[in-house]
Amino acid sequence: MSEVTRSMEATSGPTAARVARRRVAMPNGVWGVLLFIATEAALFGTLFATYWYFRFNSPHWPPQGVEDPKVALPLILTGILVSTTIPVFFAGRAARAGNARLAWILFFVALLIQGGYFGVQVHEFLSDLSKFPPNETAYASIYFTLLGAHHAHVVVGMLLELWVLGKLLGGITNYRLIGVRVATYYWYFVNLLAIGVVFTQIYPSL
Amino acid sequence: MATVARPEAIRRIHRLERIWEERPGVLGWLTTTDHKRIGILYLFTSLAFFAAGGTEALLVRTQLITPNGNTLSPAAFNTTMTMHGVTMIFLFVIPISTGAFGNYLLPLMIGARDMAYPRLNAFSYWVFLGSGLFMYVGVVTGNGPNAGWFDYVPLASRTFNPGSAIDFYALGLIFNSISSTAAAINFIVTIFKLRAPGMSLNRMPLFCYAFLAVSFALVFALPALSVDCLFLELDRRLGFNFFNVGHGGNVLLWQHLFWIFGHPEVYIIILPAFGIATSIIPTFTRRRMVAFPMVALAEILVAFIGFGVWAHHMFAVGLSTITTIYFAAASMIVVIPSAIQLFAWLTTLVTGKPTFKTPLLWIIGFIVFFIIGGLSGIMFAAIPFDQQLTDTYFVVAHFHFIIFGAAVFPLLGGLYYWFPKVTGRMYNERLGQASFWVTALGSALTFFPMHIVGLLGMPRRVYTYPSNVGWAPYNLSETIGSYILAGGLVLMVVTLVWAYFRGPAAGPNPFGGATLEWSIPSPPPEYNFAVIPTISSAYPMWDPEDREHDVDKLNRGEMVLEQGHETPASTVLDGYFDEVLDMPSNSPWPVITALMITGIFAMILTGHLVAMAVFGVLFALSVMGWHSVEPQEA
Repeated sequence: MSEVTRSMEATSGPTAARVARRRVAMPNGVWGVLLFIATEAALFGTLFATYWYFRFNSPHWPPQGVEDPKVALPLILTGILVSTTIPVFFAGRAARAGNARLAWILFFVALLIQGGYFGVQVHEFLSDLSKFPPNETAYASIYFTLLGAHHAHVVVGMLLELWVLGKLLGGITNYRLIGVRVATYYWYFVNLLAIGVVFTQIYPSL
Repeated sequence: MATVARPEAIRRIHRLERIWEERPGVLGWLTTTDHKRIGILYLFTSLAFFAAGGTEALLVRTQLITPNGNTLSPAAFNTTMTMHGVTMIFLFVIPISTGAFGNYLLPLMIGARDMAYPRLNAFSYWVFLGSGLFMYVGVVTGNGPNAGWFDYVPLASRTFNPGSAIDFYALGLIFNSISSTAAAINFIVTIFKLRAPGMSLNRMPLFCYAFLAVSFALVFALPALSVDCLFLELDRRLGFNFFNVGHGGNVLLWQHLFWIFGHPEVYIIILPAFGIATSIIPTFTRRRMVAFPMVALAEILVAFIGFGVWAHHMFAVGLSTITTIYFAAASMIVVIPSAIQLFAWLTTLVTGKPTFKTPLLWIIGFIVFFIIGGLSGIMFAAIPFDQQLTDTYFVVAHFHFIIFGAAVFPLLGGLYYWFPKVTGRMYNERLGQASFWVTALGSALTFFPMHIVGLLGMPRRVYTYPSNVGWAPYNLSETIGSYILAGGLVLMVVTLVWAYFRGPAAGPNPFGGATLEWSIPSPPPEYNFAVIPTISSAYPMWDPEDREHDVDKLNRGEMVLEQGHETPASTVLDGYFDEVLDMPSNSPWPVITALMITGIFAMILTGHLVAMAVFGVLFALSVMGWHSVEPQEA
């Protein structure tokens, strides 16, 4: 039974990497986050469907009295958020290679950019709320619900990153390596969503 | 058996007992992560809700026993009728099938020592308990949900339903779906990853296929319900306009989203019953299931097609012709996988040597009710027929044949079938059979006349009816039937309670069952399997050489995994041995985390946003506590 992989014995970068290489199937933690993403995707699918359902049942979009949304700023912000895919991706690679320090720095960079993005978005959200509040139109209702749902996911992603940053300070283990993968996959998903969300956001102006 | 366990094997078993020992007492139950204990918790909680939902049904029937009845006031009738539906669906059938049967049996059937995420499993239970109590707090305080189980707007909107009744409904269901989603993800990963090495997907019992299909359906269907309830709460609390027609909203949106969840939900309810049927039939016919791969595919296909038929609940609301025709055609397709399974069960029964013991009787009852309910279901796919009979008692008759006769009968049969495994005691066969006949007679008497009274035009959900319309004799029969039905269930409880205290010892495999749960002692030890079993077919107990091989392995110390809370993980399709996992043991965090979520929902309901934020922070802290100790440090 020397071939048995006891993954929990992997408590350093190189051994964790060796366990990950020898493992054939995806670890349970990764399966878990993929299924969680699947259910989240269904949730956003429902929100998007609602948006288009309203749009195709409305003669005016946006409804009369609501000005057309901005195009440039949301696109730029989304571009910035999506660009954090790059540090997140390389952070995951660095962690797999056993380089906890580099992974930490890259996650930190990503977190800073995402934090800045989130700050500007909250400001925009509040200023939009005063312009066309959701208790006036169905358009505003789904607009703010979609954006709010996405912002909430950005917050969850940042909390995940914070947790990973804390864990990586103590080096890499099999457990933390799976945690890093969970955080990176979650961010790929949030960034992908951002593209769909910004499209609904700017669509009335196109 | 030719091979016997040697002293070193006994020592290994003692070692496993020490490692897997559960904490005693109430604290042990609060912190348990053992899938069997969690299954028991689920079982008793969902049975308590079954009793509540059943009492509500009896109240409704008592009110309708004569024309112009006055047992319940109109308002009390609405709450009782709504809570009957909500309780039976969300607090009884789903939790007992996935939570109790799935939790207890799935790891045993695939040769695993626990679920993939034991603590998440405990968390699912505590959240389920919290959400059930949450909704019943509404009932007790006079704010029980009262707009029907599908809660259509505008009836459920703030304008027509002020007060907090609908808030209990909407928040309660969002709360409840957290539990179901977590459980579903847990099942999928358990089925994919924790099967004993050698159990490739084609050697997995059909029971597990049914639960796999259910879990995937839950993962994709529940968000629609949660989002729908979120919209409703935003409308009611913050004045959003999702369902407010005057401001560009649309009341049909509620119906679409509800049924995008609601129809898969119907199959979520019935699929575990299919899984139980495919476990019981082979055992009592002494043969393998006919058309195994076809049945497995049909189980998954039912769940898949279930996502494309939702608008057949909305034929009468004025959708476009092309839409209704599409959904009528799609609904007809459901017949195909259903018929595949039906003919597979029947062929297995006909070509096997059936012995009509209690569990098989329930399955026969299930098949009869499923055929009748299925046939009346096909009628509804005919659009004019549907438009004529929608919202009449004919619909009530149809879906009670399906979700009581077809979905709950196998659950009750399953209770008998696995009772000896869980308790180690045997029930009295005669009493068991009697309880079946009484319940089946009561069900037929309750639900069959509903067809006729529906055809006569009696609408569903009316709290009373006049005496000059000719509905009285049918309603009388229904009410009498419902009391007989309840009597059958009471007889079943008496049989099982008596068996628990006085029944003879059952032994590990009293029925000659084919799946792995029968290979271990009754009741099962905490570690489930002393040695991870060898598997070469989907009917491992009918491969005696494999079971002898298990004893050899135990003697040699191979695949005993006695260094900690260990269980093997395999590859997803082929079931090759991949790695050894260290499973968490008792943990206080699941129950604490669930408590914080309960606090969050209670504070949203009462509108204390600051207190809600406090609970939110406590929730985040308890999630951190949950993850503070890594497995290798435990």
